[in-house]
Amino acid sequence: MSAAIPPEEAASAMAAIDDRRAWLADRLIAPCWYHPALGVLAGALIAVAETRNWPLFYWAVAGYSAGCGALMWMNQRRVGVAVKYFRRRVSIIFAAQVLTLSALVAVACWLDLDRGRRGTFLVAGVLAVAITIVFGRWTDRALRADFQARR
Amino acid sequence: MTTAARFDEIVHAPNRLQICAMLAAVESADFPTVREGLGVADSVLSKHVRVLHEAGYVTIHKATCASRVRTSLSLTTAGRAAYQGHVAALQAIVENGRKKPEVSRRPSR
Repeated sequence: MSAAIPPEEAASAMAAIDDRRAWLADRLIAPCWYHPALGVLAGALIAVAETRNWPLFYWAVAGYSAGCGALMWMNQRRVGVAVKYFRRRVSIIFAAQVLTLSALVAVACWLDLDRGRRGTFLVAGVLAVAITIVFGRWTDRALRADFQARR
Repeated sequence: MTTAARFDEIVHAPNRLQICAMLAAVESADFPTVREGLGVADSVLSKHVRVLHEAGYVTIHKATCASRVRTSLSLTTAGRAAYQGHVAALQAIVENGRKKPEVSRRPSR
């Protein structure tokens, strides 16, 4: 290491690095419509099961996949960076979201198909919207913290 | 794993340091995003990217999408190592500066 730069200049360079990282972290945060839109797609997919119309359900699966793909593509274009989203904390949050939604669907299946309680898939669909939004916001927060912590 | 501190003159230029700081955090970044992050003109960014590219620190990818060319930048392994070494060197300079005792100036007569 050989550099005759004063500590003030080094500190200023470090501050510039932190500043750019903070800018990038803010940019990575999804727009306000993103998680609700993903939630509506997930909620609609679950709610469609209430109709017990399986061809319609398969179309809903296709619509969900296409919708998620389109939303992610739009967000990617807006952000303008490719990131390894599945860092440790984000992976844990994502796994927790998948488990929660799976548990919700399992309970809805049990109540509706086994106990014959109608309307459970509709309720589960509404809950899925809320769950997706909450976990999405946690993911954003974890990503931002991860970006700001690292140089 | 700790990175050996190594001051890098190529990385140290303010704009290039910020380009590396942005690229080190991501897999790749679009040219307009980096330009917006730095708040500089296309030509200024191009000049700095060329220096980093010639040093083997940055790769430039061009992809055609809907008849438009999208340029994205990413740090090479060498670029990532150089940037991390430079950051470690900067940290060492800052810490050494803190350790030095404050020398009070004698008032001039």
